[in-house]
Amino acid sequence: MTTTVATRRRPTPPGPQGQRRSFLGLDRDGLMLAVPALIPVVLFSLYPLLRGIYLGFTDAQAGRNSETTFTGFENYSQLLGDSYFWDSFRIGLIWAFGVTILQFFASLGLALLLNQKLRLRWLARTLALVPWAMPPVVIGIMWRLVYHPNAGILNSVLKDLGIIDSNIEWLSSLSLALPAVIIVGVWSGMPQTTVVLLAGLQSVSEELKEAAAVDGAGPWQRFRNVTWPALRPIVTAMTTLDFIWNFNSFSLVYVLTEGGPGGSTRLPMLFAYEEAFRYGNYGYAAALGNAMVLVIAVFVVFYLRRRYREED
Amino acid sequence: MRGFRTLATPAKYLALVAYLVFLAFPLLWLISTAFKPPQEMALIDPTIIPADPTLDNFRLAFEQQPLARALLNTLVIAGTSALVTVLLSIPAAYVMARYRSVVSRMTALWVLLSQMFPFILVIIPLFLLLRDAGLYDTQLGLIIVYVVWSMPFALWMLRSYVVGIPVELEEAAAMDGAGKLRTLKDIVAPLLVPGVVAAALFAFVSAWNEFLFALVLLRTPELQTISLTLVKFIGAEGVARLGPLAAAALVATIPSLVFFAIIQRRLVGGMLGGAVKS
Amino acid sequence: MRRAATIVSAAVVSAGLVLAGCGSGDGAGTGGDDGPVTLTFQSLAFQPESIAANQQIIEQWNADNPDIQVEYLQGDWASVQDQLVTAFEGGTAPDLVHYESSYLQDFADRGWILDITDLVPEAMTDDILDGAWEAVTFDDAVYAVPFLLDAQVIFANKALLDAAGVEVPAPDDPWSWDEFAEVSKQLTDADTFGVAWTLKDPANRMLNLALNFGGGFFEESDGASSAIFGDPEKEAFQRIYDQLYVDKSAATDAIGMGGSDPLPGFFAGQYAMLPKGIWFRQQIIDQAPEGFEWVTIPALAGDSQAQAAAPQTVSVAAESEHPEEAMAFLEYMLNPENQALLAKGDWMIPASSAAAEDPVLTETPDWPVAAASGTFLEQAPFQRVRGYEEWKNKVANPSIEEFFANAISLDELGTRLTEDGNEILERYNR
Repeated sequence: MTTTVATRRRPTPPGPQGQRRSFLGLDRDGLMLAVPALIPVVLFSLYPLLRGIYLGFTDAQAGRNSETTFTGFENYSQLLGDSYFWDSFRIGLIWAFGVTILQFFASLGLALLLNQKLRLRWLARTLALVPWAMPPVVIGIMWRLVYHPNAGILNSVLKDLGIIDSNIEWLSSLSLALPAVIIVGVWSGMPQTTVVLLAGLQSVSEELKEAAAVDGAGPWQRFRNVTWPALRPIVTAMTTLDFIWNFNSFSLVYVLTEGGPGGSTRLPMLFAYEEAFRYGNYGYAAALGNAMVLVIAVFVVFYLRRRYREED
Repeated sequence: MRGFRTLATPAKYLALVAYLVFLAFPLLWLISTAFKPPQEMALIDPTIIPADPTLDNFRLAFEQQPLARALLNTLVIAGTSALVTVLLSIPAAYVMARYRSVVSRMTALWVLLSQMFPFILVIIPLFLLLRDAGLYDTQLGLIIVYVVWSMPFALWMLRSYVVGIPVELEEAAAMDGAGKLRTLKDIVAPLLVPGVVAAALFAFVSAWNEFLFALVLLRTPELQTISLTLVKFIGAEGVARLGPLAAAALVATIPSLVFFAIIQRRLVGGMLGGAVKS
Repeated sequence: MRRAATIVSAAVVSAGLVLAGCGSGDGAGTGGDDGPVTLTFQSLAFQPESIAANQQIIEQWNADNPDIQVEYLQGDWASVQDQLVTAFEGGTAPDLVHYESSYLQDFADRGWILDITDLVPEAMTDDILDGAWEAVTFDDAVYAVPFLLDAQVIFANKALLDAAGVEVPAPDDPWSWDEFAEVSKQLTDADTFGVAWTLKDPANRMLNLALNFGGGFFEESDGASSAIFGDPEKEAFQRIYDQLYVDKSAATDAIGMGGSDPLPGFFAGQYAMLPKGIWFRQQIIDQAPEGFEWVTIPALAGDSQAQAAAPQTVSVAAESEHPEEAMAFLEYMLNPENQALLAKGDWMIPASSAAAEDPVLTETPDWPVAAASGTFLEQAPFQRVRGYEEWKNKVANPSIEEFFANAISLDELGTRLTEDGNEILERYNR
């Protein structure tokens, strides 16, 4: 990426009409503009990433005198026999699907409401952004307070409403902890999704909708035939990204339950983090990361295919 | 929107109220807890409005943990990262939008991929790398990491803004003999302001809120960010001193909330631009 | 733009380092040639009183020793393991590290903490209990100075005991587990559970209690440990399980609780008795509503009253540049007088025999009960198991939680602790 003669070119719109004559398709100005961003990216993101993938094939360990050797697929054969790994992946998938799907419907509903002239809309709009501004650690702490078995507000409200008669251990019950944590995930992830969907809704042409209304289409039909098709690319992108983010998420659950009770909320990232920085098994943790990449790759391929199909 | 009239309005309000409750309820509880004395916390029937509100929890929070220091650290780290992120991203985003080159494509691919890799793959090598470079447990190290990891989003967002700027403007400038750098500075950059604000804001908030990198990469208490300090409140055997904990959590949220409130409209506008035009 | 330039140059510098592949240079050395030595001490104290005691001791030392200045760092129990692992790995560990004896074996194996056998002064050796020293000695090498001991006792709501006519046993005549089960049943009625076992992250606690019946959980052969789960190990589990699901005298809603979670229920009379460590006295005093009366019931007796001595410890980091100065400070910090202060701050038992006689301690509420439980502490097998931390977190805590939630059987629990557990331990025994 150094000295190359580049022909000066006019800026070209990102249409199909560019010819390729210069180095990497960039002239000197282009290189000057791109390089300051490229260097840190290569050093602190690309290189660590590649090294991380490689570590997954070694027995790297913490310790003053530990030596790292390449072990090929040994970590993976260990992973396959590790029931805690499978549990954690199962939990990770339930969490990622649960949060993404609930979050999508909740956000879509909210976005539809916010797209209409309703009183209190400003309040909902502001409140809907609040979770975004909050550090996940704070969100975790806040919901710990809400879910607190005796001092928490949730149990007290449910009791007052007569829905339950004794306090529920939301975060320490084997069966309830994961659903409880998923709700928090939905709460915290709603803003992004809502804002993006709202943006999509607002870009839907009013004329089309009105034309459809004139043609006698009801609200549902208008949504299906006019709004939804316009929204779909955004929905695909957003839910795919949401899924991946959720599958990789860490902080929220770390603060809420630290993976407990009984490992019932031990997401893959928590598992990997513990392997690496609590037990010092770098190689095994990186191997876990590689396994996560495999799961994610499936969704990326799905997303890219959709995206390219939509673009063509 | 004018011809909007349906029977379903009450149902809509009901739904809206349900959303409001779901969104606001935990917040109110956090605020309420922050102002409660310890005896009231241990009541079997908790109250929403503290019977005997107190500021003690805030005092305790600031006394027991270096909260003020942590807030300042986080401000410096997040502010610097945001600034550097946009400064590096503007030219790169321009290149991505205007050049049909391998680099643009690779960058686009990286933008996408960087969102997808589990951090664990990156954080172990980053930890080792920063250690060997003498940047482990320094704020500079963390800032570099934040810049690199908030750049994908900034690039993605700014690129779409650049695409939205008519090429003709630049061609006119080029005809007048302006070089690319000048065109970028004089023509493109001013038009990018809303996008830059949104990108910077996003970078700031992500850095302010970030936890995992900070957890691994910072050790020294004087350097730590607010999220780390908060987790410390959770203490031994999970003995959470609930009052001070809530107070500290509240304090930690205020800066970014205020920031959001000021910038809200622009941010939403920015996201809209980003989301729709891409 | 200057910032950007800094970052880019930093990036280039680090690239150079990486490419050159030089990894060893810790570099960060604490400059001072002849100036005062600065030591960092990371404490895990978390109760305000105990933080104050630590700081008071350090201030005094710093005033008396201008050449060796100690800097107090605040650590926390929740993240200490991860934190120390990264700090030792990153070369930024504090000179003095406060932790617990059960983790020392791993740390010593990885070469992170110093063998201080030859640095411990004789007076200190004599003053601190032998049992506590045993817990920090591995293959004849001493890796820490032990100072605080916890012991399991039971706190009870005095009004409820009185109403049921239950008498608090004397420290030298403790309840047996059978008597305890009887009393729990007696105290249970429509509004009240006799006992609230809080069993979040229960492994340490259960391994402790199992010693009452001689349950050691690990056996050693050829220097490698493996987990076992036989009748002695099962006993305490079965008894608590029976209280929960057979007698129904223990509150099932409390099993997921940790820390101060059960206090509201305890104060409200929902739980009559609360088994906890003696340090918990401070939490009760801190939060109890006015007029609430409570008593401390001595540790239960199974075949014995034995509990594991897992003292809190202070170690010297292997990378410390000033091990001798660090030890000099430790000698001062953990002298009998200061140990009494620290023990009072954390409401625990000092490892120093002289400190245990100090009026500072003997005048705290229910001290005789606390002190008596200290005499039953003994060395437990689990303290010398390589990989114990991973075994405990990954296998033991989750499966014991599942067992008490009635999700798996006692046999299934045993299978997990031993079969799954031994797979983990094997990795450490290589």
